[in-house]
Amino acid sequence: MTHCTEEQLILHYYGEDGGRPDVERHLAACAECAAEYRAMFETLQLVVAPAVPERDDSYALDVWTRIRTRLPEQAAPWWHVWLGWDRVAVAVAVATVVVAAFVGGRVWPRPVPATVPALSSIDAEAGERVRLAAISDHLERSERVLLDVVNADGDSVDLSTEQAWAADLLDSNRLYRTTASQAEDALVAGVLDELERGLLEVVHGPSTPTPAEFEAVRTRLDADALLFKVRVLADELHEREIAPVQPRKTT
Amino acid sequence: MTRMDATEASAILASARQGDGDAFRVLVERHGRAVFRLAFRMTGNEQDAEDVVQESFFRAYRQLGRFESRANFGTWLYRIVANCSVDMMRARQSRHDQSRGQSLDEVASLPASTGHGPERLAESAQIATQVTEALRELSALERAAFTLRHHEGRSIQEISQLLGIGTSAAKHSVFRAVKKLRVTLAPLHTQPVRLEPGTTVDQVRSKADAPGQAGEP
Repeated sequence: MTHCTEEQLILHYYGEDGGRPDVERHLAACAECAAEYRAMFETLQLVVAPAVPERDDSYALDVWTRIRTRLPEQAAPWWHVWLGWDRVAVAVAVATVVVAAFVGGRVWPRPVPATVPALSSIDAEAGERVRLAAISDHLERSERVLLDVVNADGDSVDLSTEQAWAADLLDSNRLYRTTASQAEDALVAGVLDELERGLLEVVHGPSTPTPAEFEAVRTRLDADALLFKVRVLADELHEREIAPVQPRKTT
Repeated sequence: MTRMDATEASAILASARQGDGDAFRVLVERHGRAVFRLAFRMTGNEQDAEDVVQESFFRAYRQLGRFESRANFGTWLYRIVANCSVDMMRARQSRHDQSRGQSLDEVASLPASTGHGPERLAESAQIATQVTEALRELSALERAAFTLRHHEGRSIQEISQLLGIGTSAAKHSVFRAVKKLRVTLAPLHTQPVRLEPGTTVDQVRSKADAPGQAGEP
């Protein structure tokens, strides 16, 4: 085995490598790696968890007192809205549809198609909310990675973490953009398209850019106002997501 | 949690999701101290932790409609707290960058105490201050991932789920945090730790937990 990398030693320290026997054997045999491991060990031993200040039993009540006035009107979950939105009305509507379909089938040669969309539209509504929630989460994550890039320390930038993170986000971004295009949601598709280009720029840029290169990336992201667009769209989707379902005509 | 507790918790959650403020108050009372504990470990600052506690419960209340009742509320809340802490650290770093007077290099170049073992050194105020400064120099994501791995004992997989990032990003964040801490804290080493090659953190923890040993990673 060649010398252990620092990453391997870190994983070994935290037991994330499953206690690989080849690493242990190497550490036992290689003085250089053993010294490196000991040095890392010493450092990490210094980082002890800070003592958490005590909070007594009344603490939670204090917290509640502080936040209760800030709490907004609770938006009931979408499924709750349409279940709670008058269950009787839903039951009556469904019964009406069934009876109408039955009678229609008996009287006319073809079933009555007008009653079917009422149910399928509810399914579509549910699917739409799931889609919005997923995209909203995706945008919030993307905002974080872009913020990390923009706020990185300009003197000695190492973007490798942000690149790995952005690469993780790219696949889901493509999926959501395609879905938005198919749903003819031009607003969402447009922002996701811009976001994809921004993420690609981060992924394919240098991991340790020079100050000039880094400034150029930051300037391009600023010029496209990408962060602002992502944030606004995330808010917009969140609003759409929690908006109460409008009662639909079932007759 | 007993069966009755689970049923009761489920009923409280259901009420809270329907907008029952009293039910949500019960959730705050049950989880408030645990939330503060995590927020403090993540941010390392009492005031910031208090802000995170409030913001976390505020967000949880707003997002209750998205909580799946089959999931564990504590885990779901834990994730919100972790993300609120990251946001708080980002905001703080922004302020810190604008106002800090003492650079990291200055802190790192302070003379280290001598004549004590690592456990005692870790207890000294000087070491604690320098460790605190070194942690503050990490990016918000690095610090969050490191705290969850080092102090909370969370796996890389769990960290990625809690912070909503990929496993490779979570792993990278821990790597970078450790590398930066090694550079910053290297001057503090005074005497080598005697340990067998291949010793893992769990073995060290067992050693630290033994009677007469200090330190609580």
